[in-house]
Amino acid sequence: MSNSAGTSDFARQQAEFQRGILDGDDTVLAEIFDSPRERRETLFGVYRYAYGSRLVDAMRNDHELLHLYLGDEMFDEMGYAYVKAHPSEHPNLRWFSQGLPDFLKLNEPYSHHPVLSDLAALEKALNDAFDAVEAPVVELSAMTGFAPEAWPDLEFVAHASASRLDLATNASAIWLALKNEETPPDADVMEQPARLLIWRQDTTPMFRELPTEEAMMWDEAANGVPFSVLCEMLATYDDPDGAAARGAGYLHGWITSGLLAGVSVGT
Amino acid sequence: MNVASKLPGSSATTLADRPMQSAKPPFLGFGLGLRHQHYDEILDGNPDIDWFEVISENYMIPGGRPLRTLDRICERYPVVMHGVSLSIASTAPPNFEYLQGLKDLAGRVEPKWISDHLCWTGVHGKNLHDLLPIPYTSEALDHVVSRVQLVQDFLGRAIVLENVSTYVQFNNSEMTEWEFLSELSRRSGCWLLFDINNVYVSAFNHGYDPMTFLNGIPADRVVQFHMAGHSHMGTHIIDTHDHPVCEDVWDLYVAALKRFGRVSTMIERDDNIPPLDELLEEVRRTREIADKVLPATGRQAG
Repeated sequence: MSNSAGTSDFARQQAEFQRGILDGDDTVLAEIFDSPRERRETLFGVYRYAYGSRLVDAMRNDHELLHLYLGDEMFDEMGYAYVKAHPSEHPNLRWFSQGLPDFLKLNEPYSHHPVLSDLAALEKALNDAFDAVEAPVVELSAMTGFAPEAWPDLEFVAHASASRLDLATNASAIWLALKNEETPPDADVMEQPARLLIWRQDTTPMFRELPTEEAMMWDEAANGVPFSVLCEMLATYDDPDGAAARGAGYLHGWITSGLLAGVSVGT
Repeated sequence: MNVASKLPGSSATTLADRPMQSAKPPFLGFGLGLRHQHYDEILDGNPDIDWFEVISENYMIPGGRPLRTLDRICERYPVVMHGVSLSIASTAPPNFEYLQGLKDLAGRVEPKWISDHLCWTGVHGKNLHDLLPIPYTSEALDHVVSRVQLVQDFLGRAIVLENVSTYVQFNNSEMTEWEFLSELSRRSGCWLLFDINNVYVSAFNHGYDPMTFLNGIPADRVVQFHMAGHSHMGTHIIDTHDHPVCEDVWDLYVAALKRFGRVSTMIERDDNIPPLDELLEEVRRTREIADKVLPATGRQAG
């Protein structure tokens, strides 16, 4: 059955119902009954209330420490503003709050407090590591299979759960304090960004702050740059004589942390 | 106000109907909805649960602990998949990316069946993450039948659809909810998940007798019961699934057993998740009542 606009009644009714929830439009009320005990406005209100409340709950779940940091009232105010600005477009609630770091970075009043966006970005990265795709993990023993002359050409594949994040604020210190149920330090913008590496070790999401030199090596290694070139870069950054040893040291740390999914001799 | 039946005799069946012929899913016994709060207790212990129902979307993710845990659960228990985002009654185009994700998960889980709800969750690219009601019209029925056929063809199996709790009724409905569900099942071949709490909630909210609903559902199409709790607001009930099953719903369970026979039954708690033991007590009660109402012979309808 179609109306004069060529839209089926069913489709028109669903669009109106959705507008009633998302925009507070009351048109759909003309097509629903009062119940024996309650007015239709109240009954339809159950759907209106459930919509925002369910999505904000999902955000509380994904951003437990941001919630703790802001408190119920401020978090919910922020949550409803996000819900309004970013209606869910994915069938899985898992992905609903993915845009939160950018939202906090770009929208007032949150943009005046960059630590909020950083904290959300760190939680997002940890969530993403938690359920990232499975990949084999390179064991230290695998490295003994490479002859010394092959080492310069070794190329590395980062584990699928690994990601990098540069934070302008001390959000990672705040995250740690909140996680340990301690009073967080005052929010502060740092002189140098904190270079974080986030990944999943077995089933547990982890992060640690990298020295600038290691962060540079990781970023290039993750792009497929071979070991000899990585060492040349390290040599320009610090003591050239110790560059290969430093490179091997970082590599050892990555492997024992389960950060690499592949090592091979490049062509 | 209750919606009067205006369903025309048998003329609702169209030439396009292709009910999927599939063997009736097996009786699994008395189960529980799997929740992450209980992962360790289930894997470390050996709780007396016949089967688990998992929320499909919770595992439609790339990897990590949830999927690894699910694999271990599947090694030990029969599992059925229960989704919340199929949006089978939506007038939006079908979401094939979602369907492929569901099919991939089914390939991993090998569930005894795949269920979702008779509802829609959004149109025009939006998802409201709620189980939204539909008008019970012949237009809606034709639409949902065709969608069920499409989904069943895609998944290569008959699906199971659940009645949802509703808070509003549309004034253009032409039939009752139970007539709609019956016709949908007959025309598409889908099976029915009879949520006893939802029947109770909707009956209270719309002022009809839950027994009328129960007696209006064909006995041979029901393959699963849900038992859950709700929040009573005085003038209406909200289906929060965050309380123990109430006594009225236990009474309705007895009536459902008498009508539908031995049906796979589970306790579904979605929020305010209590310790596992508390839910196991409810699972035990579903079993004890069934044994009392349907002694010895193990009668199964259909």
